[in-house]
Amino acid sequence: MAPGANGIVLEARDLRKAFGGVHAVDGCSFAIPRGKICGLIGPNGSGKTTTFNLLTGVAQPDGGQVLHNGVDIAGLKPHLVFRRGITRTFQITRVFREMTVLENMLSATGLDVPERVARERAGELIALVKLSHLRGEYGGRLSYGQQKLLEFARALMTDPDVILLDEPAAGVNRTLLQHLLEQIHRLQEAGKTILIVEHDMNVIMNHCERIFVMDYGVKIAEGPPSEIQGDERVTEAYFGRRRSGVVHAG
Amino acid sequence: MTQREHLRNLALLGLLALVLAVLPSGLSVYLLSFAMFTMMYVVLALSWNIISGFTGYTSFGHVAFYGIGAYACAILVVDHSWPWLPTLVMAALVAGLVAVAIGYPVLRLKGPYFAIAMLGMAEGTRVVATVWDGLTHGGVGISFPSVENSTSTYYAMLALMLITIAVAYLVAHSRFGIRLNAIREDEVAAEAIGINVTRYKLVAFVLSAIFPAVAGGIQAYKVLYIEPQAVFFVQITIAMALMSMLGGKGTVIGPVIGAVLLYTAQELTWVNFPTAHLIAYGLFIIVVARFMPRGLIGFAIDRGWVRKGMVH
Amino acid sequence: MERSEVRSLYLLAAFLVAAYALPFVIGIWYGTVRWDADWLGYLGTVVLSGFLQGGVYAMFAVGLTMIFGVMRIINAAHGEWVMMGAYLSWVAFFFLGVDPLMALVFTLPIAFLFGMVLQKVLLNAVVGQPELTGLLVTFGLGLTMIYVAELIFTTDFRTIPYAPQTVRITETIAVSQNKVISFAMALVISLGVYFFLRVTRTGKAIRATALNAEVAMVCGINVGRIYLITTGIAASLAVAGGALVSIQFGFNPETGIVYTLQAFTIIILGGRGHYVGALIGGFMLAVLESLVSLMIPNGTAMVELAAYGLLIAVLLIRPGGLMGVKEG
Repeated sequence: MAPGANGIVLEARDLRKAFGGVHAVDGCSFAIPRGKICGLIGPNGSGKTTTFNLLTGVAQPDGGQVLHNGVDIAGLKPHLVFRRGITRTFQITRVFREMTVLENMLSATGLDVPERVARERAGELIALVKLSHLRGEYGGRLSYGQQKLLEFARALMTDPDVILLDEPAAGVNRTLLQHLLEQIHRLQEAGKTILIVEHDMNVIMNHCERIFVMDYGVKIAEGPPSEIQGDERVTEAYFGRRRSGVVHAG
Repeated sequence: MTQREHLRNLALLGLLALVLAVLPSGLSVYLLSFAMFTMMYVVLALSWNIISGFTGYTSFGHVAFYGIGAYACAILVVDHSWPWLPTLVMAALVAGLVAVAIGYPVLRLKGPYFAIAMLGMAEGTRVVATVWDGLTHGGVGISFPSVENSTSTYYAMLALMLITIAVAYLVAHSRFGIRLNAIREDEVAAEAIGINVTRYKLVAFVLSAIFPAVAGGIQAYKVLYIEPQAVFFVQITIAMALMSMLGGKGTVIGPVIGAVLLYTAQELTWVNFPTAHLIAYGLFIIVVARFMPRGLIGFAIDRGWVRKGMVH
Repeated sequence: MERSEVRSLYLLAAFLVAAYALPFVIGIWYGTVRWDADWLGYLGTVVLSGFLQGGVYAMFAVGLTMIFGVMRIINAAHGEWVMMGAYLSWVAFFFLGVDPLMALVFTLPIAFLFGMVLQKVLLNAVVGQPELTGLLVTFGLGLTMIYVAELIFTTDFRTIPYAPQTVRITETIAVSQNKVISFAMALVISLGVYFFLRVTRTGKAIRATALNAEVAMVCGINVGRIYLITTGIAASLAVAGGALVSIQFGFNPETGIVYTLQAFTIIILGGRGHYVGALIGGFMLAVLESLVSLMIPNGTAMVELAAYGLLIAVLLIRPGGLMGVKEG
């Protein structure tokens, strides 16, 4: 599956989604270039998580397209989106609580993958997130930070192309977060594309190459961190119009 | 589980098979019957466990498949003069088809609503069996003409039990089983990691339907008479569920232990306290649902006597 | 409403129309339908009976919907509570010589107490748990109640002869007096509970708790007390229903199972947790059942099937029912 000629691997085009009378996503468009770490930010209620859900098939758009390497995948069921190499983590961790760490990992491989290969990969990834000593422990017994790492590792079992992370920093201590960010950069060096939704501005500004800003269901700004930091529209969105002077984010 | 552990379990199963195989020569008719019923409940509990324990879709209507199996066999033998064994295969087939047909819509329902819908489906099947005279002889029931050799039904049930244990074991320790567990734990997350939830649920549902159907058929041959009341008896679903929950939903050994314990307890008390033991059933359900949701095996796991997880 | 919401409502409405038409279609096919004045009168009687019956169903279904609305517990023992009411009035009639409806004066408080004790001893622990736990626990309770009743009263069917004279509405439509009386009582009781919920402080507190228990707590409502009262009321409604049922039909310990099922169907059709929904559902189910029993061959057995069919269909088309949101 080659990316589109312009190097865009995942693109949202004029996405719309309404819940009742609320237009959570109202004509949102942005394009994620291959091999970059991008960030998606916006105040609460701007539609970030809904957009994520639309990109991964968890929600069906009312209008618009989701293009993966040029192919429209809008409305595709989540397991098929996953098969295409797009994976995601959740804002509140969704590890399998009554299953062991190893079982959590193994559950992510299709039955067409041989047992030995699956186990090897599981072992590698568990070691990568430093959970080897908890291999046989129930997912539900792990600390919150450990669960986040587990979910992250689990999402990587099938060596996906595109990784969407929903608030990876939330509820995680500094050390663990550093570790997570290291892994994210490693992934990027290996050619993966990553999109992060975050509220933690340090993470976004220091680790993303390109940032998309959402408000009221649409993208209001886009660009490298330096541009976004100075952008008035962004500060307005976060802090409201009536503030005078420029307030820097982060 | 390591290779050695798997081989050990296989050896244990073989030993069990051997012991049970020689039993008929030494036991009284009553005890033989008891052994057969116990084996049947092992089959039922293990099957129920596949959809309810592994996959997390608690079914209150599984007796429907038992009844369908019994009726399929009865109709083919009595009305169409089929030989015995092929009817058992047909029973499995019919149950499988019904499972696919109703599984598709009904597996879309969550938790208690799936349970209620299955209950409705089981009772509905009973009503259909009572009313559709042309096919099922209605409320009068079906009587088998010949006296089937009781040892051959015993061996049939033994074979069925061994097969069911083997299948349940293979599912539990395979990645297929792990993926079923994932569906139970969190269906949304399961789908997000590539599991085609609809298809997996359906497969689990069909698997859970065919063994009870064959058990129903074998039981019909033993008892030589079936009627809707007896064969679609809601008590049977209750027993299946309770045995599995008591032993430990989601494991293999759990339902087996639960079935043996509960059925033995039932037989011991039934003779002396016919109604009281049914009251005990009700109380038991309350206690298990409220206090021991993970059953005896869950208790053992918490104590560290049994390892966590199925795959190591 | 969102598109799929509206769509599912139309679909449900269409299904219901088809469901009501089906008995007629089948009846015409099998020849049980005759378009003459006599038969139409008979139809009228049956529909009226059904309607009157619906009032009673609605009344005890309301109890079930209240328990679900406030505590998210699905009470699988509800039919057995109704049976408890039936047996209580039977005992009052045959052993104490009291008119079964007058007996309500002391059986209702007994029921209320029963509900509160049950809540305290068993159901409080289940409140925060997944809905399936509540279903299982109450299922066990129901089973226990059936067998205790069997121990005491045996499985023999019991009846209470009461006001069996018929009331003529028109030349061809007539219903038995006990049905009319039952309906009247059910109406009075239902209206009473309705006003209680609407007007009194406790009633409003119950409704608030149903909407959001945490917020209710913050507002100073003693949620624990609300739970006790809700279950008490639900038990009383069920027992009242049992008394009204006992003067019309025969019953034994196992009859409750069908009532539980009907109550489930009613509240799911009407919308789980919706008071008015339960009332509407009650009438709708009862009338459908009468049509089925009249026009479909093997009508009495098929009546059960009608309830199941309706239940499953609503769960598949619009789980939230008529008054709820699509997913409930």
